[in-house]
Amino acid sequence: MRRHRIITATALSLALATTGAACGDDDGADVRSFGDCGGSGSASGSASASASASGSASGAATASGSTGSGSDSASCPSGSGSGSGGGSEAGAGSGSGIADDVEGSSTDNPLVADAVAEYQAWVAEQVDLTIAATTTFTDAVRAGDLEGAKAVYAPSRQGWERIEPIAGLVEEIDGAVDARVDDFEGVDDPAFTGWHRLEYLLWEQGTTDGGAPFADQLDADLQTLRTELEAMEIPPAALAVGSAELIEEVSTGKITGEEDRYSGTDLWDFAANVEGAERGFELLEPAIEAEDAALARTIAGLFDELDGQLGAYRDGGGYQPYAALTDEHKTEMQTTLGELSEHLATVAGVLGLEG
Amino acid sequence: MPGVSRRRFLAGGLAGTAVAGLGGTVAPGCSATSGNNDRAASTGGGSASAGARYLPFRGPHQTGITHPANEQGLLAAFRVTADHRNELRDTLRALSTESERLMSGEPYEDRDPAYPPLHTGTVGNPAPPADLSVVVSVGASLFDDRYGLADRKPLGLEKMPFLANDRLDPERSHGDLLLTVTSAHEDVNLFALRQLARATRGTMALHWMLDGYNRRTRADPGEAGKRNLMGFIDGTSNLDPSDEAVMDRYVWVQPDDDEPEWAAGGTYHVVRVIRMLVEFWDRTRLSEQESIIGRRKESGAPLGGGVETDVPDYSADVDGEVTPLDAHIRLANPRTARSEGDLIFRSGLSFSRGFDGDGQLDQGLAFVSFQRRLSQFLNTQARLAGEPLEEYILPEGGGFYFALPGVMDDGRFLGEDLFA
Repeated sequence: MRRHRIITATALSLALATTGAACGDDDGADVRSFGDCGGSGSASGSASASASASGSASGAATASGSTGSGSDSASCPSGSGSGSGGGSEAGAGSGSGIADDVEGSSTDNPLVADAVAEYQAWVAEQVDLTIAATTTFTDAVRAGDLEGAKAVYAPSRQGWERIEPIAGLVEEIDGAVDARVDDFEGVDDPAFTGWHRLEYLLWEQGTTDGGAPFADQLDADLQTLRTELEAMEIPPAALAVGSAELIEEVSTGKITGEEDRYSGTDLWDFAANVEGAERGFELLEPAIEAEDAALARTIAGLFDELDGQLGAYRDGGGYQPYAALTDEHKTEMQTTLGELSEHLATVAGVLGLEG
Repeated sequence: MPGVSRRRFLAGGLAGTAVAGLGGTVAPGCSATSGNNDRAASTGGGSASAGARYLPFRGPHQTGITHPANEQGLLAAFRVTADHRNELRDTLRALSTESERLMSGEPYEDRDPAYPPLHTGTVGNPAPPADLSVVVSVGASLFDDRYGLADRKPLGLEKMPFLANDRLDPERSHGDLLLTVTSAHEDVNLFALRQLARATRGTMALHWMLDGYNRRTRADPGEAGKRNLMGFIDGTSNLDPSDEAVMDRYVWVQPDDDEPEWAAGGTYHVVRVIRMLVEFWDRTRLSEQESIIGRRKESGAPLGGGVETDVPDYSADVDGEVTPLDAHIRLANPRTARSEGDLIFRSGLSFSRGFDGDGQLDQGLAFVSFQRRLSQFLNTQARLAGEPLEEYILPEGGGFYFALPGVMDDGRFLGEDLFA
């Protein structure tokens, strides 16, 4: 589940970073926090990673909150802060740890607070949409309708892909519904479940036989996601960083054609990731504009450019297969995505959402 | 405004915010603007090599072309995706801004921790003096119909064709733009590459890349002092980069050459990524190795000579009794009046990329040469066609490029005159 853990952990660690504990998560350590801090940081990380997602996040946040604002230039929490973060259930009242802390900073900026509130509602919509579309998909699997299932596979993922960094905060769900086969020793690993397990069944094995248990579990996992997300307050930093994460996800997963390798529907996910990132940006745009109007224009322009590049691959209500993507366009998209990432990476700083 | 780039180049955008007052960590005189600062920096980051310096970015030619070969180098070819001419111009400006900053050891600003840091943090801030240089070269494809530069193309510049024995892999060949980064340390090179790529993220995509090295085992006057992965001393009787007359004659495009005006001071830049079949070579008798190359392996002396710097006298050996007529050094440089005009300035790197699908080590030489006319290289290469060495080597990548002329004045950037 490494891929998805990266996103999850990054989102988590970014959320934590709002309280100055950028190096808390053990999983994240190999991506974002590598080299940032020594062993003490990872001690808390492993503890929080093993706890339930929301609990661990808030636990660590509470703990690091006690270390102060992390003004140390090394941006590493002190050992003591990390240590107490490990006992996430000991973080009394930690349920709102992140949110309290981040809202503390965001109330300074009503534009950001508005954006977060709107984003939260939009995320809930996307979860509902995902569940509805996925139920259509899983019903087709259960009914043994191979072609019908294939036809609604990509659409069923759209809502999920739009909110992936946020949904990824619920770590065990991300791994259960959206892990790729690379995260396991092989397709027969019983832990390999979710959309891509069904994708493998439908396209590689050409059947719906044996798919019902995976379909049932996917439905159940998405219900859990809804429950968990309803209980979670999205930290403002996660909104800012979420857009950046979605574009990173496109750059490292979608444009390479590895996400939906059996169905070739990568461009659907690509587009959904971009839509999600763009939505997050648009909500924050007034706040960004107030701080750095040129940056807001640059980012908006790059989204337009990306939309234009993707538009060339639209096909009816969806997108052409990944194989249609030419090398030339792929290179163009790579550089557009790369530049967009560089600019999105500064949004949290421009809005003062961390540190 | 049509044609105005909507991109914000990171280097350019940040240049104005460089922190003042940190100059204490950089030796005075190492600012890129001083004309002759090719001297040791007495301070700087921790792990500086003895004698390592910050090199001048500005000068009539790009510094890295003739700076004595560094121990570590990397070649990175890019495809340029700039939408139009002005974006290409901005890209070249950003490359110069970042290169100048890197070469002069100017520190990066520390931002609020809510931002990503402006530098990689991998080698300290500023990076220690390490003789770092960046050379910017352009490929023939940059002069296609995208940027209206067709009439500015250096006359001889073309896409590298398949030459003798070649098996060019398109994934490892050509490219619109080539960066050559060399220094005393691999980590400094990688730092520079990351900064350069970041500053041009929106308009340059990596196309191929190669890491190499160039370790000197000895460096007595006149000796090349380094061996290639075939175990032979490489670079003997190279042109002397400190001899300006020689460099003007053989390397730098001159103002009165039949070339576009902007090209004066630049040079044709050839890269040939040559795989060596080292297992096979290691099983070859020493006597055969030496006949194939035309030199003694241990001493580097030409066959019939005593020391590396001895000059072979082929006129006394017309039948190839001493040095076979098809020995590599004899074909490459027959030392005739006719071949004398074809001399080139070589600056290669050895590389290792792991092993191939057959379990054979993937090692070789990134042959690099600079010359005033591409014909100097092409004539040399043509003479080598069919040489016995071909059995042991396989050119599979690289390309023909043109290293941009240097820029002297503050504020001017490499390639600016392309747009004049």
